[in-house]
Amino acid sequence: MGEYVWFHDVSWHASYAIYFFVIGICAGLSFLSYGSWLTPALRPLREKAAYGSFVLLALGGLLLIADLSQPLRFFNVLNPAYLSFTSPLAWGSLNIAAFGVASVLYVLALNKGDEARGRLLATVTALLALGLPVYTGYDLAVHQSRPVWNTPIMPVLFVALAVASGSAVGSLLAGANEAAQKVLHQYMLWSTAAVGVMLVSILGTTHYGGSASELTFMIMTTGTMGLIFVGAGILAGTAAPVALLLAPMGRQQNGLMLSALLILVGSAALRYALLMGPQQLQTLY
Amino acid sequence: MSEELRVSPIETRGVAGKRRFAMVVDTRRCIGCMACQVACKAEYDTPLGVNRTWVPYKVVGKYPNVKRQFLPRLCNHCDDAPCVRNCPVEATFKVEDGGFILQRYERCIGCRSCMAACPYNARFMLPSHRTYTPITNVVDKCTFCFHRVTQNLVPACVQTCIGRSRVFGDINDPKSEVSYLVANNATQVLRPEEGTKPHVFYIGADRNATEFGRDAYHKPEVMEPERSAFKRNFKI
Repeated sequence: MGEYVWFHDVSWHASYAIYFFVIGICAGLSFLSYGSWLTPALRPLREKAAYGSFVLLALGGLLLIADLSQPLRFFNVLNPAYLSFTSPLAWGSLNIAAFGVASVLYVLALNKGDEARGRLLATVTALLALGLPVYTGYDLAVHQSRPVWNTPIMPVLFVALAVASGSAVGSLLAGANEAAQKVLHQYMLWSTAAVGVMLVSILGTTHYGGSASELTFMIMTTGTMGLIFVGAGILAGTAAPVALLLAPMGRQQNGLMLSALLILVGSAALRYALLMGPQQLQTLY
Repeated sequence: MSEELRVSPIETRGVAGKRRFAMVVDTRRCIGCMACQVACKAEYDTPLGVNRTWVPYKVVGKYPNVKRQFLPRLCNHCDDAPCVRNCPVEATFKVEDGGFILQRYERCIGCRSCMAACPYNARFMLPSHRTYTPITNVVDKCTFCFHRVTQNLVPACVQTCIGRSRVFGDINDPKSEVSYLVANNATQVLRPEEGTKPHVFYIGADRNATEFGRDAYHKPEVMEPERSAFKRNFKI
């Protein structure tokens, strides 16, 4: 045996990737609900997207709290005496709390049919929703020692993933509504294409990086992780839906549904691989 | 230490009137007895599966001229510690006098952000069941034996080191042994490219031992059963 290595556990487990996925869809649906005030074609999705976003926020919040090893101390994050603003998690928890309050008020306004307040709250909710993927991406990006994570593009990638997965869920909710599907087709196409461009950029810079980056690139592109990241995430979940959406079939309802499903599978796989892949190398250091 | 070396206001190395504790590990003197690891375990009742300090080794050279190269590891008590920055509730903090990076167990929420931030894998999650110590389910790490150092004792690992491989002291004191060793030997720190300003200095550690090995990707087959056994049994 050539060496004795002390094995370390990864810091963040797969449950965190599920949280990323859920909170991304939550933010995406919030964008759609806001978009319905600007784009009449999306009007049928307004309530569905708002309620869906609210439910997913509750689910994501529970997942986040359950992932803590001291779940009852979650309130420490909201304690002004403890809060450390150098941590993206602190900003994130404040963002989630503010988004939760705004979502409740928005849903109440929608229930009452209060148009003026609803429009204002939709704007506030969408702005706070933007903070969710931004903070989750930033949460990874600040870790200077982790290849792939430590890139300024990570928050932007998470925003694009949120728009793509939110639009995909919106497309599934819109069903046979052609006007809404036409708009969602554009959202899915451009956001998924943006995800693809950013992934190519990340892969390129990682491959040309130092030894840690190079090894992380190899871990992420081969074996089981390669199957999830490249196979499910990039090929099936990014390239295939973009190709499908560009083809004539992608403008029909079946093609859109298939694209939406592929985007959802891809965005889940990408979040898992982006979270877990860069942690593997560190476990052996 | 010249004042110009400081690039961040939180750094305490080279600041007059402040102590800055550091450890020098002379790898040429380490015999791999793991007594430091045992002393640390005894001092803190560190549970199975996790360590505050550990001593990995690599076999280098070509048969018959081979040797084991030990690299004792612990928290580097960085001057610009990413774990301190990343903790959302200031459960991890730096002690101004001495530069210790410590953990407030009663405040830690267990988000593992500090573990993800540490480039040295120095942090770990304490399991939910411990025999003697009630502190569980929070992140723990080496404290440079803060409780001993404040009583004018050296850390347990330094006390027990049979080869005097580990030397501990105030690097801001020009008369200390660590200052002498750092000034008169070529020293290395782990992953200097991260800019964390670690305060564990190594003498005689070469890149073979301090960098990510190719084995991280091309793992020797013999490691796989060990790794899978570790993963199978490491439930926290």
